[in-house]
Amino acid sequence: MAGRTRSTKKLAQRINLDYFKTLHGIPRWRRILSGIFVAVSLAWLGWYGVAGNPKPYNAGPLGHAHALLGQKCGVCHAGQAGYRRSATDEACLACHDGPIHHADQRFTPACSKCHVEHRGALRLASTGDRACTQCHADLTTVHGPSKFAPHIRGFDSHPEFAAVRPGATDPGTLQFNHQMHLRDEVRGPNGGVQLKCTDCHRLGSADGSFQEPINYQKDCASCHTLQFDRRISEPALHTNPGVVSDWMRGLLTAYIAAHPREIPLVDEPDERWPRRPPHPPARNAAEWVEQRMADAQLLLWRKSCQKCHRLSYPNGPDALPAVAKSAITTRWLPHAEFDHQVHQMVQCASCHTKANDSRETSDVLIPGVQTCQKCHRAGHDAAEAGCFECHIYHDWSKEKPVAGKFTINQLQ
Amino acid sequence: MDRTHRPWVIATAALAIISTAAYVLYAVNTPGGPRGGSAMGLTFGMAGYALMLYAGLLGARKQVPTWRIGRAQTWMRGHLWLGLLNLLLILLHSGFAFRGPLTLALMLLLFSVTGSGILGAAIQHYVPGFMTSRVPLETIYEEIPHVRVQLRDEADELAAAISQNALVEMEHDDRERFREVYLNKVRPYLEDPEAPDAELADPLRSEETFGALRRLLSPPVYGALDDLENICEEERQLSRQIRIYRWLHAWLLVHVPLSIALLVLGAIHAVMALRY
Repeated sequence: MAGRTRSTKKLAQRINLDYFKTLHGIPRWRRILSGIFVAVSLAWLGWYGVAGNPKPYNAGPLGHAHALLGQKCGVCHAGQAGYRRSATDEACLACHDGPIHHADQRFTPACSKCHVEHRGALRLASTGDRACTQCHADLTTVHGPSKFAPHIRGFDSHPEFAAVRPGATDPGTLQFNHQMHLRDEVRGPNGGVQLKCTDCHRLGSADGSFQEPINYQKDCASCHTLQFDRRISEPALHTNPGVVSDWMRGLLTAYIAAHPREIPLVDEPDERWPRRPPHPPARNAAEWVEQRMADAQLLLWRKSCQKCHRLSYPNGPDALPAVAKSAITTRWLPHAEFDHQVHQMVQCASCHTKANDSRETSDVLIPGVQTCQKCHRAGHDAAEAGCFECHIYHDWSKEKPVAGKFTINQLQ
Repeated sequence: MDRTHRPWVIATAALAIISTAAYVLYAVNTPGGPRGGSAMGLTFGMAGYALMLYAGLLGARKQVPTWRIGRAQTWMRGHLWLGLLNLLLILLHSGFAFRGPLTLALMLLLFSVTGSGILGAAIQHYVPGFMTSRVPLETIYEEIPHVRVQLRDEADELAAAISQNALVEMEHDDRERFREVYLNKVRPYLEDPEAPDAELADPLRSEETFGALRRLLSPPVYGALDDLENICEEERQLSRQIRIYRWLHAWLLVHVPLSIALLVLGAIHAVMALRY
C-alpha cells in the first residue's frame, strides 16, 4: 500500500527537538494537580493556624474525663523550655493528685505511660496489663524481694486469693452455721421462713460495691431476741456484759418498785434456763432483784449469748464474762475491689459454692480465682480480664488536695 | 515480574518480617500500647518517611535523567518495593490507629498513593505490550500534535499533486470528485482526528472511501492514493496511541499529586508531632 517511505532520516525530521520544553496533557495536569493538592493541604492547615486552632494536629479524641479540654491543648501541653510541648506529669498533677503505689516500689512511671490519652472515650483508669506487669512480672522492691506474688503476667497467671489458699480459715469468732440458716424451713418470729443470702448480706457502700457488715440488730435480732425476763418485754441490749448487766438491773429494780406485791412470789421454773436450784421467796425488793438478775445472767451468759459468741470468765465463774471480739472480716480481698452490684445478675451460690453447705465459722466462703476466671479471661467472648478491673494503682489514702489554678473560662 | 525483581522481593520481605517482629515485641511490652511518639514508633516513622522521600526522588531522577545516580530501572524497582514496605512501616509507626485529623488525612493519602501505585504498576506491566502490537507507528507522545501537522502538510501536497494533474491527466469531473472527497472527508479528518463523527476514524469506512477513489481514478494516481490512505492509517494509530497513553498514565494524575501532598503534610506532621 505504502509509497511513502519511513526512513530514519524522515522520521528524525519529524521530531520537534524542543518538545520537552513544553508540557502537554497528562504531564501538565499532573503538575497543576500537584500544585493544587499541596495548596489545598497548606490552606487547610493555614486556616486553622491563623485561627490559632491546633485541631488538625490533635492526635485523637480525649477520654471522657478530659473531653472539656479538647480545644485547650495548652492546659496539658503546657509551656516548657525549648520546642517541646508534651504533656508532662506536672500538667496532670496541676488538676489531680496521683499518689504513689507503694513506698518501696522501684520506679514510678510517668502518668502518660499508663493513662494513654487521645484514644477516644475510654476510661483512663483502664490501663493495659503491661503497665502493671512491667513490675509485677518480676517483682522486687527497693528493699529486696517483695512479700507479694512475684511473677504475675496477667489474670491467667494470677495467684489464688490469699483468703482461700490451703490452710486459710475465717478468723471470725462468731459461731454461725450457714447450712442451718439456709435450709428450707427456718423458724422465724412469725413462723417458718426461707432465708435468702441478701436477707443478711446487703450492699452497703454508696456505690453498692461492698457488702454491709453483718449487724445483730438488723440481721439477727428478729429471730434471736435477747429476752431475759418474762415480766419485761424489752430484750437485753446487744453490748458488753457490764453495760447489759447494769441495764437489766435498772429495769428489774424499776419493775419491782412498781409491783411490790410480787416480791414474795416464787417463779415457776423456765425451761429455757439452764438447770439451777429454785430460789426461796425473796424477803425484800433488793433480794428479788438479785434473784432475777441471777436468772437473767444465767440465761444470757450461759445460753443466749453463747449461741453465737465465745465467752470466757477470766475473773471467775461468777463474775461477768469476757466476750471474744467477733472479728468479722469486712474485706476479704484487701488489695482488690469487687463490685457486687455489677455482678448481681449472677446467683450468689453460683460463685459462693460452699455457702449452702457450710456449718463452720472457720469456712472461707468467698470464691477462688478460678471462679472469676470462668468469665474474666482473654478473648472477645469473655469479660474484661485487665488488672485495672480489680486493682487500683494509686494509694488514694495518701491523696493530697489540689489547689485549683484554672478559671472556668480558661477551660472552655 | 521478572527475575531481576527477586533481590528486591527478598530484601523487602525480610525487612517486613524483621519490622513486624520488632513491632510485636514492642507492642506487647509497652505499657499503654504502641505509640508513634515512642522511641520505636519514631524509628518506624522516620524509616517510613525516609522511604517516602526515596520514592519521591524517582520523580526528580526522571526530571534529570543525566544524573549518574544509578540506573533508572534500579530506581523504579526500589520505588515499587520500598514503597510497599513504606506502607507497612507507617502502619507500625501509627500502631494501626489514626484518630487525629492530620494523621487520618495522611493515612488516607498513603493508602491512595500506594493503591494508585499498585494499579499503575499493573497497568505499566501489561499495557505496553498492547501498545506495541496495536500501534506499530508509535511516536513520542508529546510529538503527536507536531507529527499531525506534518501529516496534514504531506497530505495536502499529495492532494495538490493529484488535483493539478501533476501525476496524470484527469477528466475535469474526476478531478472535482477527488477534490470533493479530499476536502469533505480526508482533510477534516486530518484536521481533527479525534472528532466523534470522523468517518475515516473507522478503518472499514476508510477502506471503502479510498476503494471508491481508486475505482474512479486511473492507476497512475494509485500510489498517491495509497500514501493518502497510509496517512489516514497513521492518524488512526496516533489516536489509538493517545487512548492507550491515557490508560498508561492517567493514574499518575492521582499518584503524583497525592504523593507530593503526602510528603509535604508528612513533614508538617513530623515537626508538629515532635512538639506535642
